[in-house]
Amino acid sequence: MFQTTLKKEWLDTKRQGQALWLGGIAILLLLLACLTGFKSHQSYQQAVTEVSQSEQLRWLNQGEKGPHSAAHYGIYVVKPTTPLAALDAGLQAYQGNVLRLEAHIRNDSMFRSAQDSLPMSRFGSLSPAFVLQVLLPLLIILIGYPLLAREREQGTLKQLLASGASPAKLFIAKCALLFVISCLFLLPVALFLLYSQVTNAEPHTLRSGLFLLFYLVYLLLWSLLTTTLSSLLPTARRALVALLTIWAFTTLLLPKLAMNIATTIHPQGSGQAFQAKLESEVYTEARVEAIAQFKQQTLTQYGVGNVEDLPFDYAGAQLQFGEQYADKIFDRLFSARLAQLEAQSQSYQLAGMLTPFIAIQTLSMATAASDFTHQQAFENAAEQHRRMMQEVLNFNQRDHGHKADGHYTAGEELWQQIPKFAFQYPNFVRYLPHYVISLFSLSFWLIALVLLSFFAIKKLRLEEQR
Amino acid sequence: MKRLMLVTEFKNLWREKLVFALLLTTSVLALVAFLNAHYFAKKQHDVVLAAQQMQQQAIQDAKARLPERLASTADYKWWEDPYDLRGQAFYLMQNYATKAPLATSPIATGQADVLPYYFKMLIKEKQHIVHQYDYVHPLSLLLGQFDLSFVIVYLLPLLIIGICFNALASERQGGQLRLQMLQGGSATRLLTYQLLLRSALIVLPFLSISSLLLVTIREQLGVIELLSYNLIALCYSGFWIALTAWVNSRAKSAANNAATLVTCWLALVIVVPALVNTSIALLDPTPSRIHYIDSLRAASDDAQKASEKTLAQYFQDHPELAKNGSGASDYATKKIATINSVERAMEAQDVRFLTAQQAQQHNAQKLQYLSPALIAQTLLVDLAGNGLARHHAFMAEVEAHHQALQRFFASEIAKANQKGDFAPCEGCSAKPTLTDLADIPQFNSDFATPVNNYTPLIWLLLLAAGLLVIAKRRVNKLDSANNKEVLVV
Repeated sequence: MFQTTLKKEWLDTKRQGQALWLGGIAILLLLLACLTGFKSHQSYQQAVTEVSQSEQLRWLNQGEKGPHSAAHYGIYVVKPTTPLAALDAGLQAYQGNVLRLEAHIRNDSMFRSAQDSLPMSRFGSLSPAFVLQVLLPLLIILIGYPLLAREREQGTLKQLLASGASPAKLFIAKCALLFVISCLFLLPVALFLLYSQVTNAEPHTLRSGLFLLFYLVYLLLWSLLTTTLSSLLPTARRALVALLTIWAFTTLLLPKLAMNIATTIHPQGSGQAFQAKLESEVYTEARVEAIAQFKQQTLTQYGVGNVEDLPFDYAGAQLQFGEQYADKIFDRLFSARLAQLEAQSQSYQLAGMLTPFIAIQTLSMATAASDFTHQQAFENAAEQHRRMMQEVLNFNQRDHGHKADGHYTAGEELWQQIPKFAFQYPNFVRYLPHYVISLFSLSFWLIALVLLSFFAIKKLRLEEQR
Repeated sequence: MKRLMLVTEFKNLWREKLVFALLLTTSVLALVAFLNAHYFAKKQHDVVLAAQQMQQQAIQDAKARLPERLASTADYKWWEDPYDLRGQAFYLMQNYATKAPLATSPIATGQADVLPYYFKMLIKEKQHIVHQYDYVHPLSLLLGQFDLSFVIVYLLPLLIIGICFNALASERQGGQLRLQMLQGGSATRLLTYQLLLRSALIVLPFLSISSLLLVTIREQLGVIELLSYNLIALCYSGFWIALTAWVNSRAKSAANNAATLVTCWLALVIVVPALVNTSIALLDPTPSRIHYIDSLRAASDDAQKASEKTLAQYFQDHPELAKNGSGASDYATKKIATINSVERAMEAQDVRFLTAQQAQQHNAQKLQYLSPALIAQTLLVDLAGNGLARHHAFMAEVEAHHQALQRFFASEIAKANQKGDFAPCEGCSAKPTLTDLADIPQFNSDFATPVNNYTPLIWLLLLAAGLLVIAKRRVNKLDSANNKEVLVV
């Protein structure tokens, strides 16, 4: 049955020519997208390696200076990417990829490349993810809308069913054909993933496998939807109009609306208000009092009346106390802001129940490590590194500052005690709880469409009996 | 006959319950898109207002507490003292450069959510100021705002296609066309009325409602802006109506028309803009910001290492600040000289970014003619004041303000230094050196916004006219063929 259907549909497609042209254009676009994605990923990764190395050298060669001066000198860290970012750069252009780690301040990441782009760039650029998420479903629709509806219009459907063809087999054969054709477009992606597995020192096997699996499910969803509507609706014209309406709603309108609603439901204050709050909460009278109390406690603990009599340099101890005091406030304010942003993410994912586009977009970015959750992982790791840096430098000041005649300075030996920031994305399994809603919505869509397909097959059976 | 055709068409649409559905859809789209973009613009406006209020509040607070400060003999740390020039310059200054959204802002959010619209000014390297941004969910930036331009550029053409793809075709397939010809009608007239009536049901309610909302809620909106908005939307819709007329004139089946029109929409609204963007980025790639950091860091290191040399160079460039100077200068002057040196060293890098962006903009202006969607979007974004032209004007003003602040503080700090105000006696606090914060230069928010260029609209009109001429010729041929058929019958 499958072979016969394949032959018949292939002849039909060849006769019409339109689908072949569209398919050709789509594959060209996908190849071009893969090429540009790979190129931009390579140049980004090269920049990350070069600048990280030069920053490390700069840190080590900063010369003799006080540990606190070195803490202010700080270090810049750059977010690395996974090879999958070549296929789905996700939010990379819309979030800063560089962080400055320095004393007293928890900085936000800086330099969003979208700020250097033209307004025109908001139309989107040609990336493999864009082709797979937006264009490929449209191609499935354009190839698949007449599969059963035209047979019905031409009267061949009745003939087929009357000649003993099983409605279920016919439906499955048509759907499988559509799915197989659409899978052909995944080949360049699969080959790229294979290449990156072989050539990369740190292969992301699980991520690559899931990336491919999610897209296979997504293509299956569109194949099922297209075949089902082609089977349920009386004419090919109606099937086409219905499918195009669904496509426009699910890929263009709903995602935008969903995010706009999410940001309205979980509003977030302006950056200016956040910075003002940060400044007003850290540098307060309470901080001055806390430092005075700390001083008193330290003096009491060591049984001395003056900081000069302490067996260590009090300045270093106070600096570390100040850091820990500020860190608590940073944790509270940054966590509150993050909670609001996470709530926006979750609300958006919830809208995945209305459109599979949101689910695949979320899961695709997640596996490519180019989404907000992975950005947070990087920023959190960088903040931990900043705190560790401050601790090492302040404790060094505390333990050695008092031994120096005059101003205490340290050198490369101390700078070397701070390891190079080498961030690696943890195993994807650890991130899974963040994407439960999207995983559920993709499964929900699959189950719902399989059930709808059963209904369509049942209707075909009724048609056979009529 | 004209009236009969119009009435019949309207009745057909009414029977299919399309009139109400379309009115409802376009009204809801206009309302939701406007309110969403208006809310976004209002939020930005509130932030600008809050920044300006904070700035004024700081001036007033300082004025009110000045007598207390003058009378006090307490020990003040200069970096915490609001009356110390150095404290204000490097840490405490509440001085904002802001770009408030225009009244037309809800028309197209454009890059307004990505580009910075306020800067907290301090005396530090320009490179550290101009890259501040509002921390928002990056996903909302990727997806963009649901605004009027989104509806106009993406959805109105789809609605026009959705309702017009079977114009003439269904009458021809159903045999009504021949009946109408027998009664003295013509295919040209029928197609014209069908397209005009159907598209009017989409475009007119949308434009009326959105214009009404713009006029009533965005109070400062001018007549010219309103007319420009309507003109751009009408020209763009006109192109799609003309394209529909051309496709319908080919006398193919309704399904074929739908497939052709959707392919055109996909090509012109989705694929070509994406290809244009990719080509622009490939032709003139923006330099890497990661490497920019590296250069900035290197420039800062060099300036720090050669701080005495840097200061000497600075005094050479600004001899007015060096008079009476003994050569040994204070920390603040050295810091300003270092900042100046870093900015100078980074000039070449900044020019590289600017040149790349200008080249991209140049290419974008040429390549926009490949897609009517690009033309419409560019014009709407510029009209809304959220395009690059206004942003560049703002950034030029920010730069001028940054220079003015630097000049002010450099000069005042040098004067105070020469008078010995920072160290009036051994071990005592500095004297108040800035008693009125209103003396600090304020940002000029009324920077000139460039005039928008509407020339690309002519291209849209020419395209539409060309398509209509071809469509008319084809339908005329169809008319004459049908007339012959009618005569034979």
